Order: sequence, then structure tokens, then C-alpha cells
Amino acid sequence: MVRRKHTLALAAVAALGHLTIVAAADASLGKDLGATIALQGMPCDKVVDAKRNSDSDYTATCKDGNRYHVFVDSSGRVVVQKI
Amino acid sequence: MPKQKPPAASKSEPPKSATPSGAPPSQAAPAASAAPAAAKANPPSAPSLDLAALEERLKDTKAIGLFTKLSLKNQVDDLLKQFRAFYDRKSSASLDELRQRYDLLLLKVLSLLQDGDPPLASAISGSREAIWGILSDPQKFAKL
Repeated sequence: MVRRKHTLALAAVAALGHLTIVAAADASLGKDLGATIALQGMPCDKVVDAKRNSDSDYTATCKDGNRYHVFVDSSGRVVVQKI
Repeated sequence: MPKQKPPAASKSEPPKSATPSGAPPSQAAPAASAAPAAAKANPPSAPSLDLAALEERLKDTKAIGLFTKLSLKNQVDDLLKQFRAFYDRKSSASLDELRQRYDLLLLKVLSLLQDGDPPLASAISGSREAIWGILSDPQKFAKL
């Protein structure tokens, strides 16, 4: 019984750890997309949602309501298009 | 288009905004007087600039994400193209305008790095004039 509790606890800790890593990755991606949008001179105070469309292709939603398609084109350029 | 013409490909026409990095060693500020031996070996006017190392550190830094790095690289490539066009006399931009674009790009880089990787931001900031010294010199630029 004790062993089972330990296993559950470990699983919970592992799951939490995984969630933390995923959340950190999301935050990092949001920051990355936000900086990319800003570098193109477009307004975005903070990215609150990022949907992955495919490799290097995202739809970012900013806190101010602006939405952008951010992707890398075939020539290796980062393109930011307002949706 | 009454803008400033590109200079001839010689050092005889230094840009107005050219920096001390292009100046001969004798005109440099005597900041290294405390280390005479080192100063003799390396003239104080030649600030240490290792473009390859800076580029590598920019690639490796975790302070900015991949999209941001690629965007910055795009913008650096664009600026280099503008310099190339300027020296090839295919651009209407003046050297002063290119300097403004260079400053703006450097500001963007520094603002992105200053919180996440202060040492790299500091290294780039410290190399600002040395890099400009290369960009604004047609002969040095051609060797890039």
C-alpha cells in the first residue's frame, strides 16, 4: 500500500514536472513569437496564445486582440502576417 | 534624388559618422596606460572584436528564441545587402542613413539581450564602433 502511494506520488510529481516544462516552453514560445512580431514592427503587447500549424508555422494571438501568422518561408525568412 | 552619393571604393573619403575605430592608433584614447606592455603588443585603438565569436554566442544564447534569432539574422542580412548596394552605387541611401539603420538594429539586439544575456549584450555594445568601423570602410567591408 505504501509502495503504491509512493508510485502515485512519483507519477504526480513527474506529471507536474512535465506540465511545468510544457508551460515554460509555451511561455518561451510566446516570448519568442512576441519578440519576432515586434521586430517586424507590428503591435503585440503579449502573446497569450500560440497555435502550431506546422513546423516553424504558428498563429499567435496577442493580449490586445491582434492575431498573426508567423512562419518561415522557403527562403528562410521569418514572415509575420496580420490575420 | 539629392541624397549623398556612395563613396568611391577608397579610404580617401571617410564617412562623416565614421568612428574612431578607423582612426590610426596614435589618435586613440590613452585608456590602456595602466598596462603599457599589453598596450605595446595590442594598440589601444583596436578594440577586441571577434565577429565570429559574437556570432557564435548569438547563435548559442538562450536569451532569445529561434524565431527571434532568425528574424535578427534576416535583418542583419538585409542591412549587409544595403551596404553592398551602397558601395556598388546602386543605392540611394546615404552612409548617414545606413548608420541610423545600423544603430536601430543594434538597439533591437541589445534590448532583446540585456535581460537574458547581459554579458553578450555588453560584448556587442562594446563592439558597436568596431563593427561600424568595418561596415563603413569599403575595403574592410569587402573582406567580410
